[in-house]
Amino acid sequence: MCVSTKLHPRSALAVFSLIIINKAGGLIYQREFQAGLRKLSTNDYLVLAGTFHGVHAITRSITPKLPLQNTASPVASSPGTSAPTTSGFSYPNPGVPVSGLEYLETDKFRLTCFQTLTGTKFLLFTDPMTGSVETIVNKIYELYADYVMKNPFYQLEMPVRCEAFDRHLGAWLRGRT
Amino acid sequence: MSYYFTILSPTDTPIFNIAFGTSKGGGDGIARFRFPDTAQYMNQFIIHSSLDIVEEAQWTNGGMYLKHVDTYPPAAAYISAFLTPSGARFLLLHQPPQLPSGNASLGSSSLLGASGSTTRTSSSSVAANPTSPQTEEAVRQFMNEIYESYVKSAMSPFYKQGMEIRSPVFRSKVTAAGKKWL
Amino acid sequence: MAAPRHSAMLSISNASTPQSTSSDKTQVQQPQSPAGTSGLRVPSNRKTIYDRHLNRSRNAELSRASFAYLFGEMVSYAQRRVTGIQDLEKRLNEQGYPLGLRLLDLLFYRATSTSSSALSSSSTSSSPPNRPLRILTLLHLIHGPLWRLLFQRSADALEHSVSPDTPNEYMITDNEPLVNTYISVPREMSMLNCAAFVAGIIEGVCDGCGFEAKVSAHNQPTEMWPSRTVFLVRFGDSVMEREKVLERAGVK
Repeated sequence: MCVSTKLHPRSALAVFSLIIINKAGGLIYQREFQAGLRKLSTNDYLVLAGTFHGVHAITRSITPKLPLQNTASPVASSPGTSAPTTSGFSYPNPGVPVSGLEYLETDKFRLTCFQTLTGTKFLLFTDPMTGSVETIVNKIYELYADYVMKNPFYQLEMPVRCEAFDRHLGAWLRGRT
Repeated sequence: MSYYFTILSPTDTPIFNIAFGTSKGGGDGIARFRFPDTAQYMNQFIIHSSLDIVEEAQWTNGGMYLKHVDTYPPAAAYISAFLTPSGARFLLLHQPPQLPSGNASLGSSSLLGASGSTTRTSSSSVAANPTSPQTEEAVRQFMNEIYESYVKSAMSPFYKQGMEIRSPVFRSKVTAAGKKWL
Repeated sequence: MAAPRHSAMLSISNASTPQSTSSDKTQVQQPQSPAGTSGLRVPSNRKTIYDRHLNRSRNAELSRASFAYLFGEMVSYAQRRVTGIQDLEKRLNEQGYPLGLRLLDLLFYRATSTSSSALSSSSTSSSPPNRPLRILTLLHLIHGPLWRLLFQRSADALEHSVSPDTPNEYMITDNEPLVNTYISVPREMSMLNCAAFVAGIIEGVCDGCGFEAKVSAHNQPTEMWPSRTVFLVRFGDSVMEREKVLERAGVK
């Protein structure tokens, strides 16, 4: 368990950092998993979280809609769709709520955003070559559900300061590399 | 045979009591104590006076069933005790039926009692001899069955230790166990 | 919150059995008791608690998540209007105590009835387990059977205090208390250990058996076991005196 692993300088499985944003756009958790990342000040992280929250909201509202065929018009506006569909248009997949930004890729890193049903967002910064990011995100969500949400001392929407979460997150990510 | 059964909480509060008679050998399950006028409070008195002995036996005998612990000769009362691990005490007073020769002293109820007792004394196991191994075994089975019902009562979230057990279902369970074993 | 519920219950019991309300004072929180004489309310399947077998749920499994949420709520509940960590631990302890008393009876019942059904007539062979008379038997009971009943495994260590000043202190160690699995105590409350609840259960068991004791839970993390907890059991003087008498008498 407590083996101190030597970090590969650029591991193919590298997870750089994790940010958790609450549903109001506040930063509640931030952690780096790689040495040698450029440090941002706490304030910058807060700004980053708030900015991303806004960008995410924008991307959600600019999701393009497709014009409807006339035949399907009365049934198309299914109640599951969150957006108020103007009569002639609908989202490509009406049953699924609009998700907004999910990936952001550059040649240096890849940002994955995972939003829970309650509106909490997990931002994971990984190496662009990293595969199966979804597994990582799901596991992080699971650890969050276990060690943050089941902790009676955690107050909802407040910064996450749960020692057990840190410990298990670190151990699991170390075990992967 | 007539029985008086009581449960005492760890703090010596009576939480349940019942009087009943044997159902073996043609008994009708109705208690007929030797001194019916005073039985009601004498039984309680006799049972509680055995508590000292129970408390002594409690720390030398680790079993839950302590068997026959005390006798009160004037009323021919025998007392058997069972201790639950959590400190509740089940005490059973049993009084063998009076032999036909000695029942002259009794009044109105003696006729009924005598007619029953002739059949009962002839029956083999429980009735005749309160200290025989058969009786001990029957009482043990009886106590074990009560213990099961008691645990069920105690596990109820509405039950706090030391509270009186009022459930009529519990009472009927005790009656049934008495019918079955005693 | 409690007041309207109680008054609602009162009005129900008033309506159903007006004669019984005046006689008993403590019956407000016991809804089944007013029906004691008449009108007993039985579940629709006619199965009261007395008809259900106590061993039915013996090997049943409970969702760890639901327990974690429940326990989390219990901690939050205990945390309301407490004055400090000690107060909070005391409340958790009090929540566990009645559980210990109950578990004790259940534990013995199950130990008795496993080898042979309690209801079968030919069960002369099995001898039920003995009530603990000596401290060590009691502690082994807690360390083994009780822990297995609660957590499906034995506790990790049982020690006697090495200090000659405190011969009445015993330690039971659990490397990973189930109740603390998902709990991270904030740094400003670092002395707190929510396993005080389990300590309360142990205290209930000790008291139930007639061993007056105070039990407290203490953090003793190691690198390997960050949530390692030591339950310190301190027996009262009367227990120690009796222990000496029993030892002389050769009681096991």
